[in-house]
Formats: sequence, C-alpha cells, structure tokens
Amino acid sequence: MAHDAIDSQQLTKILIRLQAGGALTLLLMLVGFDLFFPSQYALKAAVHGVSTISALVVGTFMTHRAYFLLRGAKTNYPSLRNWTLASTFLNLLAIISGNWIYMRYRGQDGPRDWILQSVPDFHNILMEFKEFVSLFPFPLMVIASFIVLYYKNTLHIRHDIKQFLGIIIMSAWFFIMLGFVSGLILAKLRFV
Amino acid sequence: MNTDKQSSTPLETDTPTYSGPVIAATLSALLGMLTLVVTHHISRLTKGLDKLIHSYGYWMPGSTGTGPDGSIGNYSGKETLAVFVWLATWLIFHYLWRKQDFSLRAFVAFFLGALAFLMLGLFHPLIDPVVLFIAGLFGYA
Repeated sequence: MAHDAIDSQQLTKILIRLQAGGALTLLLMLVGFDLFFPSQYALKAAVHGVSTISALVVGTFMTHRAYFLLRGAKTNYPSLRNWTLASTFLNLLAIISGNWIYMRYRGQDGPRDWILQSVPDFHNILMEFKEFVSLFPFPLMVIASFIVLYYKNTLHIRHDIKQFLGIIIMSAWFFIMLGFVSGLILAKLRFV
Repeated sequence: MNTDKQSSTPLETDTPTYSGPVIAATLSALLGMLTLVVTHHISRLTKGLDKLIHSYGYWMPGSTGTGPDGSIGNYSGKETLAVFVWLATWLIFHYLWRKQDFSLRAFVAFFLGALAFLMLGLFHPLIDPVVLFIAGLFGYA
C-alpha cells in the first residue's frame, strides 16, 4: 500500500504564511484596540502602534530571508526587493507617526510630565535612549533597499555583498525590536 | 582595506559589481546616526545650544508649540541635521567610491562596532560622564 507523503515544500510555505498572518493579526489587535481607549489621542497612538507592529513583523520575516543571504543561497530577487521596500516604508511610517504621537508625549500634562514626576529615570534614561535607537532601522533598511535596487540580480555574483545585506537586515531587526520593547514599556507606564 | 580598482572582468553582465557604493551608503548612514547622538548631547549642555539645534527643525510641522498637544521640540532639529549629514555624505561618498572595490569582510567588524558605539552613546548612565568631560574641555560643563 502506497503512503503518499505531503508535499513538504508546499506545506512549509502554507504554515509559514499562516504563522506570519496569525501573528500579524493578533499583534495588530494589541495596538488596534488603542482606538477605543478613552483618550483624545487614541488615533495617533493606534497609527503609531499599527505602523511599528507591522514594521516589527515584516522586519522579523526579513530576518528569515537574511539567513539565506548569509548562507549565500540563491534568492528570489523580485520578492526580496518587494519585501525590503515594504520594510523600509513601514519603518518610515513608524518614524512619522512616532513624531506625531511624540508631540502629545511632550505636551502639557502628557506622559512625559507624569513620568518625570513619578519615575524620572524612565524618561531620562529609557525614553531618551528609545527615541533615537528607534530611528536606526529606517536608514539601515534604506541601505538594504539601495543594495537590492542598485545591484539587482548581480547580487548572486557578489557573495560578500549578499552577506552584508543579510547583516544589515539583522541589525535593523535588532533596533526595531529594541525600540518596540522600550516603547511598549513606556506606553504601559503612561498612555497618551 | 583594499582600495584597488576591481581588476576582475565583470561576470555575466555589465551591471556594477563594485562594493564601493555599499560602503558609501553604509558609512553615510552611520554618520547620520552619529549626528543624532552628537546633537542630542550638545542640546543638553546649555539653553542656547538647545535652541540652536531646535532651530534647524523649525520647518517641520509641529516642531514648536505648547499646551496639551505639545510639539516635537528640538528632536525635529536633530532629525533634520541627521538627514542632511546622511544624504550629503552619501552623495559625496558614492561619487568618490562608485567604481572602487573594498573588502566588506573588514568593513563588517567596523560597521557592527560603530552600531554598538552609537547605541551605547545614547545610554545616559554610561555616556554622560564622557560627554561632561569633553564638554568641560570646551568650557561648557
């Protein structure tokens, strides 16, 4: 009796997409519900939250591409280009929306005033660290986008550039994660 | 770092395969990030320097203002200066190195070290004594 195995490549593809889609949906709920929080700045908070979570999920997905780049495996260039550009755009959106919500953070009786009065180190150390390291992923992803757009398919003949691209993507992910976690700590401490 | 022009013949295609443009893009981005770190520490030294840094960001909507809606404040100036340094140096470096080939293997160590340095340069408990020492040399602390 023959036992037909499942097409493992197809199954892996479906499971990866389900996992990524599920994670994105559930994580978006984490910030999407900001819209219903009792604050007149709920929209600003939600837009920043959605853009940063999206940047984090896409950035994490990109690290899986980075492993292949580091190993020198042949890469699907159009797909890599599209994901890199998407990640760059999401990081830019996170910065713009971050500036937008930062205004309220600094506003009269805003989170900064409360934190400085209650637990000043969270502003003086954590926020002053977070507001700058959160900017790092964007230029790093711009470099990644530049590399894929400039070298196009010739990437596969320069293994060192491909590896460097992988390292850039991994570095960007690290700073996305760092900024996201510190931002979440501050938002938990005092919502806008 | 090897700065010789690439001697090998292009493989399969005529499109560029020099690593110079990668170094140019990366180094300029690192300089932009360094600008963020430096302007941040400078703006904390005196009110005058804070105002000076802030003034570069006045073009940005929401850069000034008070009340519950707040403003971006001097952060707008730091971002502006960082973007200016990043893009200006990128143009220059790219023009200079677009047909140069460098060792990326050697550059990776520098790149990761620079990122770690920039990150730690934003952690006040660690960097403030250093900043105050340097500022003291210029009579600002």
